[in-house]
Amino acid sequence: MKSLLGMTAVAVVLSAVAFMLGSYQTDIYRKLLLWTTLALSYNFLFGIAGQVAFSHFTFYGIGAYAILILLFQVGLPLPLAILAGIALCVVLALVVAIPATRLEGFYLALATLAFAQLFIVVLNEGGTVTGAGGGLANYRLPDVFGVRVTGPWYTVVIVVLLLSTFATLWRLDRSWFGRACRAVRDNPEAAQAMGVNVARTKIIAYTITSAMAGVAGMVYAFVDNTVNPPIFGLQNSFLLLFMVIVGGSGRHAGAIIGAALLYLMPFLLSPLIGHHHALVFGVVMVAVVLFQPKGLIGVWDALVARRKLVP
Amino acid sequence: MSRKPLLVVRGLTKRFGGLLAVGDLDLDVFAGEILGVIGPNGAGKSTTFNMIAGALPPTAGSLEFDGKSLRGLPTHAMAPRGIMRTFQHNKPFASMSVRENIMVGMHTGFTGSLWRVLGATHGAARAERDAVSRADALVEFVGLGDRGHADVETLSFGQGRLLEIARGLAAQPRLMLFDEPAAGLTPAECERLSHIIRDIARQGIAVLLIEHDMRFLMALADRVVVLNFGHKIAQGTPQEMQADPAVVSAYLGDLAAVAHA
Repeated sequence: MKSLLGMTAVAVVLSAVAFMLGSYQTDIYRKLLLWTTLALSYNFLFGIAGQVAFSHFTFYGIGAYAILILLFQVGLPLPLAILAGIALCVVLALVVAIPATRLEGFYLALATLAFAQLFIVVLNEGGTVTGAGGGLANYRLPDVFGVRVTGPWYTVVIVVLLLSTFATLWRLDRSWFGRACRAVRDNPEAAQAMGVNVARTKIIAYTITSAMAGVAGMVYAFVDNTVNPPIFGLQNSFLLLFMVIVGGSGRHAGAIIGAALLYLMPFLLSPLIGHHHALVFGVVMVAVVLFQPKGLIGVWDALVARRKLVP
Repeated sequence: MSRKPLLVVRGLTKRFGGLLAVGDLDLDVFAGEILGVIGPNGAGKSTTFNMIAGALPPTAGSLEFDGKSLRGLPTHAMAPRGIMRTFQHNKPFASMSVRENIMVGMHTGFTGSLWRVLGATHGAARAERDAVSRADALVEFVGLGDRGHADVETLSFGQGRLLEIARGLAAQPRLMLFDEPAAGLTPAECERLSHIIRDIARQGIAVLLIEHDMRFLMALADRVVVLNFGHKIAQGTPQEMQADPAVVSAYLGDLAAVAHA
């Protein structure tokens, strides 16, 4: 009950912000919310379930393309297109996960990298279905129950996406499933002895988080109202990984901090130092990995612990 | 004994290529008893243990638990059948608290589907609360007292061993397998461990432990099986074993070999 009230309060505040922003800030705000959503679900996959997968941003792209193709080429109504899009993400996630989760660390990373590259190839070679190199454009969100959802109201949709993603992951993490995921990451042999089916746990974690990325992608498709292959390239997959690592992998708060920091950093630094912001990005990454592998949330933890020690 | 044994092992054999690690081993373990398996280094204790724990497929032989075969089952199928184990080299879930580690041990007890978790049903919430209070009770039982919220990284080796036991008991097993539980413990910790293992057996749980430390085992076990070069060379009460010439020579041989090395 308390958490429900808290969530509602956050929803109201995040939504209220949407109504105060100009169009330039709205674009930044929406993408900040989307990056945070993605970082949260990727944190579950990478940080909590311990799977070094590079396919998360690819599922974001699959969701985006799928909803557009299903709506405007297959001609499904919006609710059906959403369900079919989720189903597609689940099937593709299973196709990748069932063989790939047998692989450990490095090899899982390679397999998912290959999948991510394959997706780009399919987009470029997809002819009129994917719009090839130019992607898809000139569309808009169909009316929902006769209402056109635009402007700040569409930002509210993204807020709902973010908070429902967060609530779902929070519950999973605090359940027997979340413990099983951490157990598999920490010590698969001991996890098995506790009765945890390691392969199944990995496949479920991969599929759920990938489907979440897919849903976020569906929402994204109507943010820029254009999708094209370069958006879903590897650069953004790695940015997502950096967000989780810088913030503190395995922690929801870490994912949120990491996403906010790395997404906003160029906007804050460019006016001051121009293109050198990339250099700052690199230095921050190296510093975090070297000095605080637990990320910024680890720094915060250390500060809190020190305060407790001082009487 | 007219009671039926809980675990029946017959003709258990493991070959690694041409090497016979365990040959034609028969074992019975009854509910509420402590069976010790002992033997010098390389006698096949660990191989036997891993086969019973489902971590290593036997080359031949049968493993029956409560009348049902265990052969061919994956490792994770042991816990739901009531067979839990500890590891000789503690294998905690390092990122979790002591309490959470124990709650992973309850994994098979959580029957609710993921939908119930996502729906945040009352049933799921209650199961979670029950698990927490049972975990805290187990923390008390093994004597980790106020360490329930501690990071496992802060535990001493001996405390880590106690956590292994609590985590195993969390599944409410019918058979507990201990892999050299006394290894690396101080004499005081060994003493505590003996009490805990006796307590466990008194609850009606069958206990099988393999052990290198003869003194620890002889004071604890109801019955002892002695292995040497993969074969059972004797079995009986600890008193009988200490007087058995085959056992004495196997151990003396071992000591002599160590002395020569």
